[in-house]
This record gives sequence, C-alpha cells and structure tokens, in this order.
Amino acid sequence: MNRAVNGQTHPGGATGSMTIRRRLLLILLAPLTLLLSLGIALDYAAGTAPLHAAFDQALANEALAVAAQLHPRADGRIEFNLSPQAIEVLRSDKYDSVYFLVLGANGEFFGGDDGLPVVETGAANPAFRDAQFAGHAIRAATYRAATPAGPVAVTVAETTHKRQHAQRRMLTSIILSDMVQLAGILALVWLGVRLGLRPLLSLRAQIDKRSARDLAPLDETDVPGEVRPLTRALNRLFATVHASAQGQLQFLANAAHQLRTPLAGLQTQIELLIQDPAAAQLHAPLKGMLDGTRRLGHTANQLLALARAEPTAAAAADFHALDLRELAEEAVAGQFDLALRRHIDLGVEAAGARILGSRWLLRELLSNLVDNALAYTPANGRVTVRCGPSDAAVPQAFIEVEDDGPGIAPEQRSRVVERFYRAPGTVGDGCGLGLAIVEEIARAHRAELKIGAGAHGVGARVRVTFPAAAEQ
Amino acid sequence: MRILIIEDDALVADGMRRGLSQSGFAVDHVSSAELAEAALTQENFDLLLVDLGLPGADGFDLIKRLRRGGNSAPVLIVTARDALADRVSALDLGADDYLVKPFALPELAARCRALIRRSKSSSNSDLSIGPLRLDISRRETKVHARPVDLTRREWAILECLALHAGQVVAKDRLQQAISSWEDGITTNAVEVYISRLRGKLGDDVAIRTVRGLGYRLDETVA
Repeated sequence: MNRAVNGQTHPGGATGSMTIRRRLLLILLAPLTLLLSLGIALDYAAGTAPLHAAFDQALANEALAVAAQLHPRADGRIEFNLSPQAIEVLRSDKYDSVYFLVLGANGEFFGGDDGLPVVETGAANPAFRDAQFAGHAIRAATYRAATPAGPVAVTVAETTHKRQHAQRRMLTSIILSDMVQLAGILALVWLGVRLGLRPLLSLRAQIDKRSARDLAPLDETDVPGEVRPLTRALNRLFATVHASAQGQLQFLANAAHQLRTPLAGLQTQIELLIQDPAAAQLHAPLKGMLDGTRRLGHTANQLLALARAEPTAAAAADFHALDLRELAEEAVAGQFDLALRRHIDLGVEAAGARILGSRWLLRELLSNLVDNALAYTPANGRVTVRCGPSDAAVPQAFIEVEDDGPGIAPEQRSRVVERFYRAPGTVGDGCGLGLAIVEEIARAHRAELKIGAGAHGVGARVRVTFPAAAEQ
Repeated sequence: MRILIIEDDALVADGMRRGLSQSGFAVDHVSSAELAEAALTQENFDLLLVDLGLPGADGFDLIKRLRRGGNSAPVLIVTARDALADRVSALDLGADDYLVKPFALPELAARCRALIRRSKSSSNSDLSIGPLRLDISRRETKVHARPVDLTRREWAILECLALHAGQVVAKDRLQQAISSWEDGITTNAVEVYISRLRGKLGDDVAIRTVRGLGYRLDETVA
C-alpha cells in the first residue's frame, strides 16, 4: 500500500454562495429595468395626449368650417350649401377617409354621409368620440351650431390611420431613446460595480498568488475600509503563526546546542579513553559507552530534525527555488564515507529538477533516505540516488533512493513512516524516526511520499514527488 | 601545525585539544572571541576551530572581524547549531568548513588536515596525501618515496584530485583540467586516465569512484 502525503487542496473562487458582484448587479439591475419600463409607459401616455388633442382640434376646425356653410333663410329655415369642390377639399386626406353629416334640430338630413354616428354634446362643444363606421374605426367630432331653427349638428369624422401611425412612431422613438438610456445606465452600473469592487478583487489576487507558506502580511494600502478588519485579522493570524514558528525554531536551536555540546564532550572523552593504553582493560565497556553515546547523539539529531520539520516550525523555514540535482549530489558525496565503510556502491543518477523548498529540510530528508538504504543494504549492495523532472501532466520533480537490500514488505510500507516504528526483524541501531522525518518534510513541501520495491521487485525504492517550481 | 580552538565548553575543548595533539598538531585553546583576538595578535595559527555559540561576541562576529582585519587563516566551524541559515552565513563570512557536534575525533583530525593542506597548497609546492607526495612546481610524484612517471594529462588529473583530497571532484571538472590540451575530450577519457593513474600509483593510493558524480582521492585506503 502506498502512502500519499497531503493531497493539495485549493478551493478555487466562490462556490455555493453568491459573489458580491452578482448580488450587487441583481439588486440594482432588476429594479432599474422595471423603473425604466415604467418610464417608457409614462412617456408614452404623456406624449400621446397632446397628439390626440391636436388631431381633434383639426377635426373640430373642419366641423366649424362645415358649420360656416349653414345659412339662415328669411323664412327661418336653414340652408346648407356645400359645393362639390368644397366637399372634395373636405374629403381629401392623404391617409384617412373623411366623413361628414349635417343634421337639423329635428334630425332632418341636410347633407353628408347618412348613418355617421353623431356625438352627444354636453358641456363641451364641439364634442369627440371614437366609433365605428362602414367597418372602420373612426374618430368623430360633432359641433352643434345654434341657428334660428334650432341647433344643427355638424359631424366630421375620419378614420384613425394618421393617429395610429403617429402613435406608433412616437412609441418607437420613446422606446428607442429609453432603451439607449437603459443600456447606458446598465453599463454605468456594471462599470461602477466593477470599479467599486476592484480593491476587493486585487486583494483576492494578492491572496491567490501567495504561496501556501507565505506568512508575510497582506498589503493593506488599497484595501477598502469595509474589508480592512478582515485583512487585519488575517495579518494578525499570519503574524501569530510566524512568531510561534520562529519561537519554535529558536527553541529547537537552543535545545540542539544544549543537547549536542555535552554529547560532543562525552563522545570525544570516551574516544580518547579508548585510545589510552592506561585504560586498556576497560576497552570493551568504553566501546559500549561510545556506541551508546553515538546512538544518543543520533536520536537527539533525529528528534530535532523531526521537530524542525513539523508544521509549527517548518512554517518559518526559508523556502527557495533550488535544484534537486545539487542536493542529490551533495547527499551522495556526504555519505560516501559511510557507504565505503559498509562496502556499498553509492551512486547518483541526477537530472536537473527545480522545486521550491527548504535546503536544510531537504538535506535532512535525503540524508535520512540514504542512511536508511545504507543501513539495510548488505555489503556489496548498491544504493542509487535519482532525481529529475517526472513525467506527469502537471510539472513535477522527483527524488528517490533505491537499494537492492531486502526491501520493505508491502504490509509494512504504511507503518514504517510511524514514529519509532521499526519493522519486525530490523537490524541496525536506527531509532525508527528516519522515515517519519522524511514524511514530515515531504508534507511541509506538499510532496508525495511513495514506498515501493526497487527495480525487478528487488530492494526498496522510496520516492518523493514534488510540485515543480513555478516558472519565474 | 598550530591550531587555535575557540570553544567555551571546557569538556569539548579538552577533548578536541587532546585528540588533535595525539594526531600531531600543536593546539592552543581560548574560551571566548575576545581572548582569541588577543591570542591572534601575538601568534600565528595554521587553523582556527571556532564554536558559533560563544559568550559575548559569537563565532560569526569573530570570523567577520578576523577577515576584515586581513587574517586569512582557514576557519573550521565546530558547532551544535546546524540550521541552514547558520551554515550559509558562516561560509559567506569566510569560514572554510563546518562540522556539527557531536563528531568523531578521526573526522575532526581529517577535516583539519584537509583545510591546512588546502591553505598551504597555494604557498607551498608540496602536497602530501597519505603515502602520496606531489611536488607541484617540479611536477614530480612519489608514492612511499618511490618516483612515479606521469604524463601531463595524468598529472593534471592527479593534481586536481590532490588539491581537493577528501572531497568528491566532479568528472566534468577533471575533464576541464585536461581539455586545454585536447579538444573534444570526452568524459570517457577521464575514466581512461583514472584507470591508468590507479595502475601507476598502486593499491596504497585510494582514488575512489563516486558513481554518477566523480572521483575522490583519500588519505587512507581503509
């Protein structure tokens, strides 16, 4: 079973809840659209009233002109005389059919189109109304002219083409101009919201492009007042985490000094005693003491390394762009003596592979992997450190240590990374922290640790796969 | 070969002093940077062993002041601090090597010898690595006082290895050392010369192959 360490999680953007921009646009745009539609209706109503009045006035004028042709005769009767030319003038209209009817006080027909609806006049004279005549919608105006023979009703009517045409044109122009307004307002709202949210978006970009390890405070210069408490809280949190990591590192540095200095004294003194001829009979117990002291030193180093790789301290570690190849070569050169003593062929197969990491932590990771491999590989074995870009869809880099020793049984592979765990049948004087340190350091680098078998199923291969450094 | 140990822990200082004396060095010890500076105004030392965590002025300050004052004696830092920042800044300030406590005495002695050898190689034309002796100015090689005849390219490679004895020298670097005589030399050529050198120098001179990296000339065969 392979153990994957820390899959990357990066919640991208807002899912679930609505963005402020969308909310603002919804709140503003829906009522604005409604308001502007209402405006169109009002403009239309206000614009068509004088239009109607003007057309009605023209109709009334015609009725008055016809009424002017009513002449009272000497016998008290009314004479209505409209020449055919005058009738033609009256009826001539580019768009509409014009009708007229002149009726006496008792309904006697003087002339015109019989059956044309007559408008009742009350207070208003002339009076107007819409009606139907000869299958057409018409607008009729009736003027009651007072004559000695009683009131004569002069009615003039016309079909409504002209009016409808004018109404349509007015509606079109109102809609057009209001639409232009609406579009302008919508554009302004959209632009305003966009510009207004720009400081927020730039804050988001600032946070987005930070590395997960960056604990530097956010730049607050362009942050709007509403969001400032948020960024302040974040910055306080960053500062707290950073300070506690720094404190942890400082503590570990002091602990290292306090542990290692007396151990160094003890170890050199025992070494000197072992060489001293006067203490020859104590050689065996002194050798035991030296071994114990070395183991103690090793365990102290491992515990310090583990503590330094833990998130609380690793957060303060300096991450730089670095080449795994340099680290691989350095590790092999550094542990070549140990390999020589154990008669193991230690080598490197390295290609350049840049990642973002802490040199100290990675050095510790590699030295643990190589140490392990050297510890469990029998004499005349072979240990190889490899690194390079790995063939994956996303740019990755790997470093691995392969040996041809007994390997790690599949059922043990998830357990060997546990602290102080030592697989059954393990020889050597390890303290069982090596792979725990490796796992912790891999985690600090968002890298994946895989423990498997070596080439042709022989030995062990431990591979750490890193996300490659972003191109700068 | 005189060594000055600047170390405030008495037990460690005593162990280092006695251990290095047994390896044939003349050793003095002071417990602070201030005392070290005083000692250095009166005496010359071939190597300084500096602890970083000293009381008063620390190891960094001492190295900085020494280098500024024109003292070029090699400096080996022996410290319980091992974090990268320490390492980088100490080496940047002009320290030559770095050893983390606790250490084994043979390792300490070997580092001291290597540092002194490197600092002498520029002024002194004699290099001595175990049974191997190189006279740089005359281009003469001896193993156990027996003269060995080397071609110019073999000599160039051996000289490069000897100047960095105890350190892995990359194959590319050895290739560069001989490429001035021959264009288009391949790294295979380096392998050929190394194998000839091994044949001529015999089994008492240890030229190790570090697979995939380069070669290392060691003081001892064991």
